[in-house]
Amino acid sequence: MTDRSPVLSIEHLQKHFGDHVVLRDISFDVHQGDVVSIIGPSGSGKSTLLRCINFLEQPTGGTIRFHGKNAETEWSSAQYHARVGMVFQSFNLFSNMSVLENCVSGQMKVLKRSRKEAEQKALFYLEKVGMSPYRSARPAQLSGGQKQRVAIARALAMDPEVLLFDEPTSALDPEMVGEVLAVMRELAASGLTMLVVTHEMAFARDVSKRVIFMDEGLIAEESAPQQLFTSPAQPRTREFLSRILDK
Amino acid sequence: MSELPSSFFGWVGFILEKYGSLFLRGTGITLAVAITGTVLGFVLGLLVAILRTIPIPARAKWYQKIPVKTLYGILGVYIEVFRGTPMIVQAMVIYYGGMQMGMRLPVLTAAIMIVSINTGAYMAEIIRGGIISVDKGQKEAAHALGMTHWQSMVHVVLPQAVRNIMPSIGNEFVVNIKDSSVLNVISVNELFFMSKSAAGTYLRYFEVFFITACIYLILTFSVTRLLRVLERKMDGKTNYVIYGSQSDSKASIVIQKEGIPND
Ligand SMILES: Nc1ncnc2c1ncn2[C@@H]1O[C@H](COP(=O)(O)OP(=O)(O)O)[C@@H](O)[C@H]1O
Ligand SMILES: [Mg+2]
Repeated sequence: MTDRSPVLSIEHLQKHFGDHVVLRDISFDVHQGDVVSIIGPSGSGKSTLLRCINFLEQPTGGTIRFHGKNAETEWSSAQYHARVGMVFQSFNLFSNMSVLENCVSGQMKVLKRSRKEAEQKALFYLEKVGMSPYRSARPAQLSGGQKQRVAIARALAMDPEVLLFDEPTSALDPEMVGEVLAVMRELAASGLTMLVVTHEMAFARDVSKRVIFMDEGLIAEESAPQQLFTSPAQPRTREFLSRILDK
Repeated sequence: MSELPSSFFGWVGFILEKYGSLFLRGTGITLAVAITGTVLGFVLGLLVAILRTIPIPARAKWYQKIPVKTLYGILGVYIEVFRGTPMIVQAMVIYYGGMQMGMRLPVLTAAIMIVSINTGAYMAEIIRGGIISVDKGQKEAAHALGMTHWQSMVHVVLPQAVRNIMPSIGNEFVVNIKDSSVLNVISVNELFFMSKSAAGTYLRYFEVFFITACIYLILTFSVTRLLRVLERKMDGKTNYVIYGSQSDSKASIVIQKEGIPND
């Protein structure tokens, strides 16, 4: 066993928008190599949680620690964001850049890599997600599944320790969900630490090491996937699962 | 003395022959003022628009917010004043006001200054609109990669914003070609001013300004076309190359696509 201390610790995280309390009190740890799925009804605060971890939203309470150090005050924004990457539901590829440039710009601007090094790295990961043939295409010329694979390559090119995924397949046509999930399965198998908000129950069940069920701004239940899917402890988990698995 | 023409087109030909160089010089000045004014106005507007996007950190204390808020206020006043008054009045105030305060600007410098400042106020709002029109996911993605506010503005948001507002920028240019005519009040020898002096001698206002109208129309029409070409350039290639194939890793296939929608 190597280092047992968590990579990422969420401690009593709170977030409210005005009077609207979205995250009440969220705490959990993520260890090296963990794949954690976050499931829960829409509006339960899953996206807000990921966005707070990445400081796209300013948390209103609590602490986020990365390798034990306060992510907001003890890490530089550039270093933290390079190590904790994010994949969005709506891809958010830079539409003014080619596929290759999308994967290069962050490396050069944030990590100050040379163009040569950045391009090599970008092509390596584009290859990995099967998108290197499209390196000169513009995002608008790609299908949704292709865009999301490029977005994953863009995040990987920063050499992150943790990747956050916010419903990466929800905006995709059904026939494209598989290609993105396949890439994610491979990443999980390669030992990447992943935090995945998803409605893909099969992915949550088969790939993740732990599943967090969120409801109304709280973690209602957190356990191993077999346990959570076969014998959920909470009635509301059971209710949510029966609703979503019936579909 | 030679015979004076008797028909409309006779007069047009006569005037063109006699005052052709005058029209040409006037056109040159008009174009120079419009181009420089639009470019400088764009730079000024860009600066103002960028300054107006400086984020106020959520955690800043009230007194830390004062400098940024003061800046916002000053920029807001600039925009309101120059969009809320006619350029012809601005020209009078700046040129004669400057003179009264002992600042005798060369007319052409004053002209370019007036057009730039005036255009800057409009551009600031246009560019701000352009920045707002960029999907906020673009900035979030830049931020998630670790880019700073400035990096994300320069590399991601502004290129898209400027592309989105190209039609409005072109419109400002066209407006400047036409509206620089008001600068005749401070005796800038642009096209309208030159036309007036050409018309004065024989009192042929109709024929002279018919020619003037044609020149303005040619200018604005060509500018509109040129900008359209530029826009298409900015959209990048409508095709892309697919690198490698299963049988030949060095093969490349060119994919043609009709136009690129704005993603
Ligand atoms: N920027 C915001 N301003 C106000 N309310 C917000 C904002 N973002 C999210 N919310 C609210 O927070 C709640 C949780 O949203 P979200 O985190 O997107 O849920 P989920 O991803 O689980 O569907 C919702 O009620 C939503 O309306
Ligand atoms: Mg969500």
